[in-house]
Amino acid sequence: MTPYLIFVLKRFGQFLLVVFLGVTITFFVTHLTPIDPVEESIGAITQMGQSDPNAIELMRQSLRELYGMQGSIWQQYLHFWLRLATGDLGPSLSAFPTPVSTIILRSLPWTIGLMTVSTLITFVLGNAIGALAGYYRKDMVLKAVSLVFIAMLPIPYYILAFVLLIVFGFIWPVLPINGGYEMNANLDLSFALVTDILKHSILPALSLILVGAGSWLIGMRALVSNIITDDYVVFAELGGVPKGKILRSYIARNAMVPQFTGLAMSLGAIFNGTVITEIVFGYPGIGNLLIEAVHAGDYSLVLGLSALSIVGVAAAVFIIDVLSPLIDPRIKVE
Amino acid sequence: MQKWKRFAFGFVLATLGLTGLATAEDYTSLPRKETLIVENPEGTIKNPGWFNIWVNGGGGVSTGLQQLTMDTLWYIDPEQGLGGAAWDNSLAADKPQYNADFTEMTVKLRKGLYWSDGVEFTADDVVYTVKTQMDHPGMVWSAAFSVQVASVEATDPQTVVFKLKKPNSRFHAIFTVRWNGAWIMPKHVFEKVEDPLRYDFANPVSLGAYKLKAYDPQGKWYTWEKRDDWQRTSLARFGEPAPKYVTYTDPGPPDKRTIAQLEHNLDIIHDNTPEGMFTLKEKSKTIDTWFPGFPFAHPDPTLPAVIFNTQEAPFDNADVRWALALLIDIKAVDMASYRGAATLSALGVPPTAATMKDYQAPMQDWLKDFEIDTGKSKIKPYDPTVGQQIADILRKQPKFKDQIPTDPEAISGAFGYGWWKPNPKAAGELLEKAGFKKSGGKWLTPDGQPFKIRMTVEGDTRSVFTRAGTLIAQQWAAFGIDAKAVPAAKLWQTALQPGDFQVAIAWSVETWGGDPDLSFFLDSWHSQFVAKKGDVQPPRNWQRWSNPELDKIIESIRGISADDPKGMELGKDYLKLVAKEMPTIPLMSYNVFTSMDTTYWTGYPTIKDPYTDPVPNWANSRLMMVKLKPAQPK
Repeated sequence: MTPYLIFVLKRFGQFLLVVFLGVTITFFVTHLTPIDPVEESIGAITQMGQSDPNAIELMRQSLRELYGMQGSIWQQYLHFWLRLATGDLGPSLSAFPTPVSTIILRSLPWTIGLMTVSTLITFVLGNAIGALAGYYRKDMVLKAVSLVFIAMLPIPYYILAFVLLIVFGFIWPVLPINGGYEMNANLDLSFALVTDILKHSILPALSLILVGAGSWLIGMRALVSNIITDDYVVFAELGGVPKGKILRSYIARNAMVPQFTGLAMSLGAIFNGTVITEIVFGYPGIGNLLIEAVHAGDYSLVLGLSALSIVGVAAAVFIIDVLSPLIDPRIKVE
Repeated sequence: MQKWKRFAFGFVLATLGLTGLATAEDYTSLPRKETLIVENPEGTIKNPGWFNIWVNGGGGVSTGLQQLTMDTLWYIDPEQGLGGAAWDNSLAADKPQYNADFTEMTVKLRKGLYWSDGVEFTADDVVYTVKTQMDHPGMVWSAAFSVQVASVEATDPQTVVFKLKKPNSRFHAIFTVRWNGAWIMPKHVFEKVEDPLRYDFANPVSLGAYKLKAYDPQGKWYTWEKRDDWQRTSLARFGEPAPKYVTYTDPGPPDKRTIAQLEHNLDIIHDNTPEGMFTLKEKSKTIDTWFPGFPFAHPDPTLPAVIFNTQEAPFDNADVRWALALLIDIKAVDMASYRGAATLSALGVPPTAATMKDYQAPMQDWLKDFEIDTGKSKIKPYDPTVGQQIADILRKQPKFKDQIPTDPEAISGAFGYGWWKPNPKAAGELLEKAGFKKSGGKWLTPDGQPFKIRMTVEGDTRSVFTRAGTLIAQQWAAFGIDAKAVPAAKLWQTALQPGDFQVAIAWSVETWGGDPDLSFFLDSWHSQFVAKKGDVQPPRNWQRWSNPELDKIIESIRGISADDPKGMELGKDYLKLVAKEMPTIPLMSYNVFTSMDTTYWTGYPTIKDPYTDPVPNWANSRLMMVKLKPAQPK
């Protein structure tokens, strides 16, 4: 077995361990919360006018069985893994008996769409400005632009979301502030609908981009600042190679290697959703779904969403790890 | 097309493909003059394609599903009802017929009613509904049927006979809609289904006057269309439903609801904030509200109250409970919570129009004469002028002065009759009677500890009552009690059901509203259902209060039929008992700030024509459909 294959297998083992521990912790945390999905359902049934205590107790027992919540927490834990091993996330408890996977699949594309686009824009914007600012260190415009992004970095993204909502929703109401598309929209696929969806994504995306770009900018600027003193860059400058070419071909390409690692991790974390942004803007993604599930004590849905997030991040790290030795010659597998 | 546009279009198309965003006819393309647009308070439905209402939690209920397409044997309206009575024989041709010992109920059904797919409704549907639910634990009414029904059979196509496991003079309540009820299932659809618990009932077959037309695959709206054969439904007895289409939408938070109604894009707002309602009344000339002036809102048949955990000392002592009641300045609480827009109740029954007539008005003399013994003196705690005082306060506000009624009867109807006078001296005497002492301006319990009260409130999910609870805690604190309001997420599940609270602001009394029979909530207050300390309390006796006298009243009510006039006398006995014992401190009605725009439709229910509850998620709001009239020519 080659050293690289052994390395990959070790990393895969770590990946499985991380997923196992992450899902296990999530399982126990959700089951230890004081909110009980059976009592949630009983509450809903009571609201419908049923109050016969004998019937309520019988209903409680039936629902516990139906929701797979009978037995000790360890039995439930084992049952959960057995089900998960077959790819079954089980039924949602707050939308019983619709499968968790069906509900997640309805919301997931919204989050993927929003997060992918905003992550890529953030990445390109932050790195481009960072590279320019690192290379043209005396340029006042670049200094000012960098300062703006860096100043925004410590602002929590949800605060910025509220600011955007107030500015563009109330003071200067030019952009939609709620939902993924206009409620009355005609849902026939059309350019109008696409434009409408894009318009609805502008403010949530902006709240992520404006805050996120600063960290890429700082990282890239630091990397470029280090590289410009390297001999091959100095020789290129002395040799009269155009500055633009030096920046593109000599500096940026080398500096981008660690940045792409970060990008892969960010894309892996897309499955975390952006809970607060989605709540602020009423965006129909998995962040909103997660909060609803937590409020309803819907263990199955919370576990499904968490498992997705854990697998997403762990898989991204695993892929980066196994690809790094192949891409970056500085990394050697012993 | 430019490159970037092509890219954007392609990307979004790919995303849409993943979302399963199906084509749904936009409801705004429907003729507005023929469409009623209503708020669905359930918000956006997480599982929009689920219409099997017999499985709990599966999907939306107030999307129009229960209001427009479902039907069952009887309805009791929270208000007056159509045809002059709150009671309505809907699928049933008559009232339930019980045998002498209430172990058998016979139902005669109407002839000539049809499901929307043309199949006739018969007794077999009723029998199937009961048996199917009994056979499938977990369906919404399965437990209720299993506990009570020994057998059910159709003796002919229009007759169903239930044999009960034990006497129950209120068995019909399960088939009687107040907000909801045991809806009848279409046998011909469900009998072909492998598992009724896992069937989504897509394209629902309707027994009501409307059928599904379209819905948003993301769950934001549902549109229902009047059936061509609406004459073959139970609602047709009252006339033709006017709106051809009815859409239930999620218009968003209160500010968006308010704006939508100001722009005439939302005919009925289910509920608003008091401030949102005041804005609408100020800025719109086309808004109808339940009361034409203050307090505007509809008093639901639910009674918010200060609920004591009577299994916890010192709240197991009626003197302590009464002392705390006498420290409340209800006018301040009313202004802080509802900004004055509430209907007060000193009695343990919600002040709906019907209970005002049946209980509140007839018991005014008793209340005026009612005495409590503080140990040092006897006082008459009732102040019959509180409603009038609140009206006077509000009249001083220039914004509202013209909207406050002046007729004493109208004032009582809108603001309530009276409430308890704040009486700190008597409260102190009652506490001393219970063994408390005051030291250094602070009250100490009989064992010398500081008297601490934690008032559990729901927080921002029910801000009106959080404001009320916080103010009440402040009033107690001003008297020298270490009282604070503490928020609890999921108040019912985390505090009331497990009994993990001292005092809370919530409700444990709900009535039919339009009918004086109090068994709707009272039966569950019997001591047989009070959980041990530490165990989960079944609904609705969250105060966990038991009293032999109360048990006798409940047992007497169980032994008579629902429409026996003796029931109202027993109801008054209950009200006198809880006034003496004060297991909860009744505050006011649960006011729902429903507003109705008259730009496209008129004939909404109001206090002047109280034919039904205007709050549109209640199933009996179907009555509105036959009373509405288009305001504009087609």
